[in-house]
Amino acid sequence: MAASAIVMPKLGLTMTEGLLASWRVAPGDRVRNGDVLFVVETEKIATEIEAQGDGRIETIEVAAGATVPVGAVVATWSGGGAAAAVPEATPEAAPVASQPRSSGGERIVATPLARRLARDAGVPLATLVGGGPRGRIRARDVEAAIAARAAAPATSDAPAAGDRRAATGMEKTVARRMAQAKQTIPHFYVLAEADVTELLKLRDDLNAMEGLTRISINHLVMAAVGRAIVRMPEINVVWDEDAVVQLAGSDVGMAVDSGRGLFAPVVRDAGGRSLDALARDVDALVARARTGQLSGDDLAGGAIAVSNVGMHGASHLVPIINPGQSAILGVAAIKPVFRPDANAQPTLCREIGLVLACDHRVHNGVAAARFLDCVTGILQHPLSLLRG
Amino acid sequence: MEGVATVTTRPSGELNVSGAPDAAGLLDLYGQMVLIRRCEERLGALFADGEVPGFIHLSIGQEAVSVGVMSALRRDDTIASTHRGHGHAIAKGLPLEGFFLELLARDEGLCRGRGGSMHVADTSVGMLGANGIVGAGLPIALGSALAHQQLGRDAVAVAFFGDGALAEGVVHECFNLARLWNLPLLFVCENNGWSEFLPSSKQIAFKLGELSAAFGLPHVAVDGNDVAAVAAAAADVVGKVRAGGPAVLECVTARMRGHFEGDAQKYRNPDEIARLAERDPVGIAARQLLKTGIDEAELTEVAETVERRVEAAVAAARGGRDPDFEAAKAGVYARAGGGHG
Amino acid sequence: MPARGAVMAELRYLRAVNQALDDAMAADPSVVLFGEDVGEAGGSFGVTRGLRDRYGPGRVRDTPISEATIAGAAVGAALSGLKPVIEIMFMDFTTLVMDAMVNQAAKAHFMFGGQGSVPMVLRTPHGGGLGAGPQHSQCLEAWFAHVPGLKVVCPADPVSAYGLLRAAIDDPDPVIVVENKALYAMKVEAPERLEAIPIGKASIVRPGRDVSIVAYGAAVKTARDAAERLASDGVEAEVIDLRSLQPWDEAAVLASLSGTHRLVIVHEAVEAFGVGGEIAARMADIGFDELDGPIVRVGAPFMPVPFSRALESAYQPSVERVVAAVRRTLE
Repeated sequence: MAASAIVMPKLGLTMTEGLLASWRVAPGDRVRNGDVLFVVETEKIATEIEAQGDGRIETIEVAAGATVPVGAVVATWSGGGAAAAVPEATPEAAPVASQPRSSGGERIVATPLARRLARDAGVPLATLVGGGPRGRIRARDVEAAIAARAAAPATSDAPAAGDRRAATGMEKTVARRMAQAKQTIPHFYVLAEADVTELLKLRDDLNAMEGLTRISINHLVMAAVGRAIVRMPEINVVWDEDAVVQLAGSDVGMAVDSGRGLFAPVVRDAGGRSLDALARDVDALVARARTGQLSGDDLAGGAIAVSNVGMHGASHLVPIINPGQSAILGVAAIKPVFRPDANAQPTLCREIGLVLACDHRVHNGVAAARFLDCVTGILQHPLSLLRG
Repeated sequence: MEGVATVTTRPSGELNVSGAPDAAGLLDLYGQMVLIRRCEERLGALFADGEVPGFIHLSIGQEAVSVGVMSALRRDDTIASTHRGHGHAIAKGLPLEGFFLELLARDEGLCRGRGGSMHVADTSVGMLGANGIVGAGLPIALGSALAHQQLGRDAVAVAFFGDGALAEGVVHECFNLARLWNLPLLFVCENNGWSEFLPSSKQIAFKLGELSAAFGLPHVAVDGNDVAAVAAAAADVVGKVRAGGPAVLECVTARMRGHFEGDAQKYRNPDEIARLAERDPVGIAARQLLKTGIDEAELTEVAETVERRVEAAVAAARGGRDPDFEAAKAGVYARAGGGHG
Repeated sequence: MPARGAVMAELRYLRAVNQALDDAMAADPSVVLFGEDVGEAGGSFGVTRGLRDRYGPGRVRDTPISEATIAGAAVGAALSGLKPVIEIMFMDFTTLVMDAMVNQAAKAHFMFGGQGSVPMVLRTPHGGGLGAGPQHSQCLEAWFAHVPGLKVVCPADPVSAYGLLRAAIDDPDPVIVVENKALYAMKVEAPERLEAIPIGKASIVRPGRDVSIVAYGAAVKTARDAAERLASDGVEAEVIDLRSLQPWDEAAVLASLSGTHRLVIVHEAVEAFGVGGEIAARMADIGFDELDGPIVRVGAPFMPVPFSRALESAYQPSVERVVAAVRRTLE
């Protein structure tokens, strides 16, 4: 059987290139349908690319560490399916760069000035994420890291004593992406408390009904955010390479700790779907995340995500924005508090702590506060959530 | 300067220009030819022994041209020489020690060990340099003549070149321009019959006299191995050049050695080489001197004096220092600044 | 005609060159001019107009069409007390002067062990844009800048044209003064005083913090125009007029690079093996730790200068190409 191409898949609408982070197969390896072939890192996520049939790997065309355009041939195989080949490879879609690897791992691409600044500041280049072409670390990337470090509480430079183990590829990817997000996205935060007394009552009432998907606070928050986006579409924007991109619809991402790493799948049309449909989608995405079955499209899109740690008792969560998005809502635990009522008498309330982290390149404080107020309002008067 | 070098600074007219020089004058010229001959023989030996680096072209057999022409020049007259220029340099009055120091690539050499055989120069005596490029001396001499004319000096410039150079374009450009501007420039062609490894008859399609006539340049041909004849002709023609414009002096001579030292001359008829001794300009001058009544002892004394001078210069040269690289690197420009290097 | 050094309302490039020759000849009787048609005709571009009448046919000489001998004679004259300024009508014709310049003029001071020097100037116009075709448009200055012993300057404006030529004539070494013929008509407001500009010193013609653009000759204007366009996008380019190519002011370029961390080099000459390559190589060495992006050159492609306007306009470095080069360094 003639060898056919395995190409860099398009893992989302805006993806134009991907970093081939690591190979899980070598030339000559037999693979079965579903075996992981390689790991792709995009701006959003590390994705394991699986074989779409049985076959044998013939050649590896792109070294791990290289960033290649979507559609570029990364390997060839002889097999019974289309492998990971999404689009047909074209001759001009060859790898743009095949970066050498040193025996110690990926070569770090950095400008001479960036290297000097990092050396002078004692910042290991390996901890940085480059924003330049092919991930090149530039002076501004180092400066951002230095600034971030200065803002962080002082710690000893010495590594913590204790057992060490090498991080997994997924852990490294998550670490790198989180560091990049924190270093390159100018975060600001707006905080609010939402009285969820009514929301809890609505949840309980809904769950008392037969035949419907069990509704959680998380479902309700996702729905509230989606509906707030519908009311304030101007919040649904992202920053992309010196451009402001207005997204359509009301997709909302959510942070999922899969046990194998942090994922951020996206629920479609969270503002327009019925609670029941939304809940089913959310549950399905969480299940796919935990079983490693998320597709590229599951991860694409969305300007805003929700990260909910409410079940773990924290009063507030100050989250980091997912790369490629512009906001994230940190949702914490529900706690009983006394609040003055209209007569200044203490009243028992159930409140939830909300922190909206925003990218200041596309959002300002007023818009963020209004949006958070909108979400809070929906949560406090949740009957509107019943409108599908 | 003492000894033979004083001849080069003697004002023209001191020699009997209407005919052959007198006996004393001829003895002087003879002494200079012996000096050049001995210097070059010594250089040949030093080269064979590896003491002279690079490669050298000897003018043995052509000494009468250098000595005869230079006897008609003053110190402030200028010359541009060729790759076969040792004779021109010594006859123009270069200090012998500085000459040998340069040929042995010493820091104390005339050119601080940066030029060597093909670039010996001494601007203080009007020697504007030997030259590694055939024909390149002609425009330089022409420019020097232009300076003499423009600055109102009555000096002349002399361009030496071989018959092989007649094939170079600048010869024709310079003949033309010298005539147009009526420059005090004497073209001296040392016609030794060879263009490197080929006879000039296979290289040059014209006669120099006819070429000169085409440019309106006076052309004088002389036996270039008869120093008295060269001196007489040079005195005459240099006087005319100084007074009124360019001319061509063709000295018919012979190259007694190869194109360069080490040249086996396989291309040359052995009979021709064997006959060269008959035309040796040093021998011709010696016979002329003996006829005038000068005895062998005087010629021997000249040779011994020359031998002492040459050996003293060689000894001095051997004692010289190697040049300093950083100093040489700093010597590329008269006024350095900026850049890197 | 205005008095020497006096205020003039405007100064044209061609007039500045003429003025420099005039002032130098007035100041030093050993300065002479010669070349093809520099005398009676006043130069094929009119640069030497009026000088023969003022200084006589001895000091301003018409030569026959003998470039090799014009240059060789300048060497001999310079070794014998004159300060010759020769004109080679088009830089393309300097192919014919190479022995005199490379083997004679460049070497004399060095190979004669420091005896004397060759204080000559070779003026020649380079550059295209006039439809002059492959043999009348070339920018060959890198050839000369490659030869130890020669100096090369390339004025970008009338004030530099005056100042660099005066400095060249005063210099004890052989200097090639390259004038871009497309600049001859350029005019500027005349400064109060015209004076010599030191060889080897660059000039910052526009300060900026984001990227350094090094240029010389006509490319300086291209670089300035590009800087204006970039400024409208918030990119502040520093434009350096190199003025001298050999020696060139690497200290100034390094200082600028140390402020901007990005470098673009623009010249009209062919990019391959050119002046820009030398600057880039040098800055990649001594300026390595300052670089925050690739060094980008903008020059002519590796092809002869074409005749057709359609071809030649694409051949010459454009503002657009400089802007694009700057963008690349900023990625």
